[in-house]
Amino acid sequence: MKWRHKQEKKPLGGLAIAKKRFVLGITLPLLIYESLGLFVIGWAFVLMFYNYSSGRLGGPILGLGGTNPFVGLDNFIEMVTGNSVQAALFRTSLKNTLIFAIAVLPLNLLITLPLAYLLESIGERFKTLYRTIYFLPVLTSSVGVALIWMSMYDPQAGWINAIIRLFGGTPVSWLSDPRAGFAGVSVAMWAVIVAYLWQDYGYNMVIFIAALQGVPQELKDTAMIDGATRWQAFTRITIPLIRPTMLFVCVMTMLSSFQVFDIIQVMTNGDPGNQTQVLMLDIYKNAFRYQRLGWAAAESFVLFLLVMGVTIIQMRLLRTEWEY
Amino acid sequence: MTAHAIPDRGPARMSKSIRSSFFESRLFFYIVLTAGLIFTVLPFLMMIFSSFKTNTEVLKVPPTFLPQNPTLGNYTTIFNDSRLPLLRFYGNSAFVAIFNVTMTLFTSALVGYMFAKYEFRGKRLLFGWFLTMMMIPSHITMIPSYLILARLGLINSLWGLVIFSAVDAFGIFMLRQFCETLPNELLDAARIDGASEWQIFLRIVLPQLSAPLATLGILGFMGNWNAYLWPMIVLQKVEVRTLPIILTWYNSTHSGQGALVMAATVLITMPIFLVLVYFQRWIVKGFVTTGLK
Repeated sequence: MKWRHKQEKKPLGGLAIAKKRFVLGITLPLLIYESLGLFVIGWAFVLMFYNYSSGRLGGPILGLGGTNPFVGLDNFIEMVTGNSVQAALFRTSLKNTLIFAIAVLPLNLLITLPLAYLLESIGERFKTLYRTIYFLPVLTSSVGVALIWMSMYDPQAGWINAIIRLFGGTPVSWLSDPRAGFAGVSVAMWAVIVAYLWQDYGYNMVIFIAALQGVPQELKDTAMIDGATRWQAFTRITIPLIRPTMLFVCVMTMLSSFQVFDIIQVMTNGDPGNQTQVLMLDIYKNAFRYQRLGWAAAESFVLFLLVMGVTIIQMRLLRTEWEY
Repeated sequence: MTAHAIPDRGPARMSKSIRSSFFESRLFFYIVLTAGLIFTVLPFLMMIFSSFKTNTEVLKVPPTFLPQNPTLGNYTTIFNDSRLPLLRFYGNSAFVAIFNVTMTLFTSALVGYMFAKYEFRGKRLLFGWFLTMMMIPSHITMIPSYLILARLGLINSLWGLVIFSAVDAFGIFMLRQFCETLPNELLDAARIDGASEWQIFLRIVLPQLSAPLATLGILGFMGNWNAYLWPMIVLQKVEVRTLPIILTWYNSTHSGQGALVMAATVLITMPIFLVLVYFQRWIVKGFVTTGLK
């Protein structure tokens, strides 16, 4: 190396220039583009302190000020203490988002982890076939999933009610009955949760399968020779070994269910009686239907805090994981 | 290792009670897995079968599973519907997905390579900036991005779906890691042979990145193709819409015609679905290695 540096001093100087040019040629447009990104984020941040509507002209700079007045923290104060319809709806949406995420997470784990484990234990030929089929809903567009499940939930001709009738039960208007509920959560919410789970479980399953494949077979075998049952081997050896993956899956599932939109927007659009109105839906409606962009930006920030909170908790937990 | 593996299931298992051995048996595994399988497949079958029924048959109580008088009527209705030029909507979706994916793959490879193999001032700062941008969820930028598009007159333009997607911080991050494994000798050898920096990137580095690019590409394509919220905000006129928004529009304008809507769902979701099924191996690998969703 040293020798080459001495021998080819001149061409290397040219090379340094060429490299510099290359780097500049990339970083300059990149910097401009990323500055635009920063500008967008900054704008989002500023908007939440304004009573901003895209229907009004407003001040000279980005339409801020003038008819779109600065209101400071009023949007946030209103969210917490306000009596207005929009503030109440925000609180309902926040509650629904939390209900949705808190219901989805354990149900998802209860489905995906056992199924992944069973799948990992059967013969190679069936494993591929089963995994392929379990993964199909993940590949389907969420609008398609929503429409399929809407027809399944149809109160008259839907399959779910047909099965209920078969067992002598009373049919339910799954997506439109505001009074029916189960475990304190409305049936409409349960209905979208089931559709969401159906679309999503294949994703976590393949992640779990990959993690389970990393658990050495010898460890399980040794435990079972020592008299452990399969169940004991699973809970005492497999589970601790895949803990980092479980944590990762929990966080990812939590984050995506906080931001759920597509399925609910198509299936219920927040109905009946706002029982399935989640935060993303509320943000969307406020921003693009009611033109309350400042309010929607403030709501987005609350959702952002929720997402960041979970991410930070995850980082903390992962760090302690690494320490021992 | 193998000595352990051979005597495993015999004696230890026999001593357990019959109940627990049933729950630990292959038979039980298959029963549970098959039940889950049926639950996964039935909605698909229902959609496909319903699309061949008449609009009166889908209203029957109790519902029929197989169509009694299979008909292609729904499909011909859709193909003859001048308000639903499917090819145009496929074109819209394809334009957005292919344009975005090609662009992000190129920028991710280029910038990732630069971060991996070049030293320059402010590199750490720039990279840190990227990592931070990566953490900002899209719902934060959605509103100002819309306002920008409105000012630029790009609402109802497919270009509006393209201009904010030129750079993907996650792709850069992933390809930087990959590029770090490329041997420096390879690049230096090319330099000695007189290749310019751009030639090195295009002729030597880019071909080496085909595996991660394929993974990123298929995941990006899937994400773009199925994207719903942002296209719905940007594309408000019917003609310019992409497939998922067209499907919900069709559903809302044909309520009460369940079979027709199911046929539209088949036509709009299934072709790309089959392509994705074909690439499933890559998609699964991509999900598992990147943790991206």
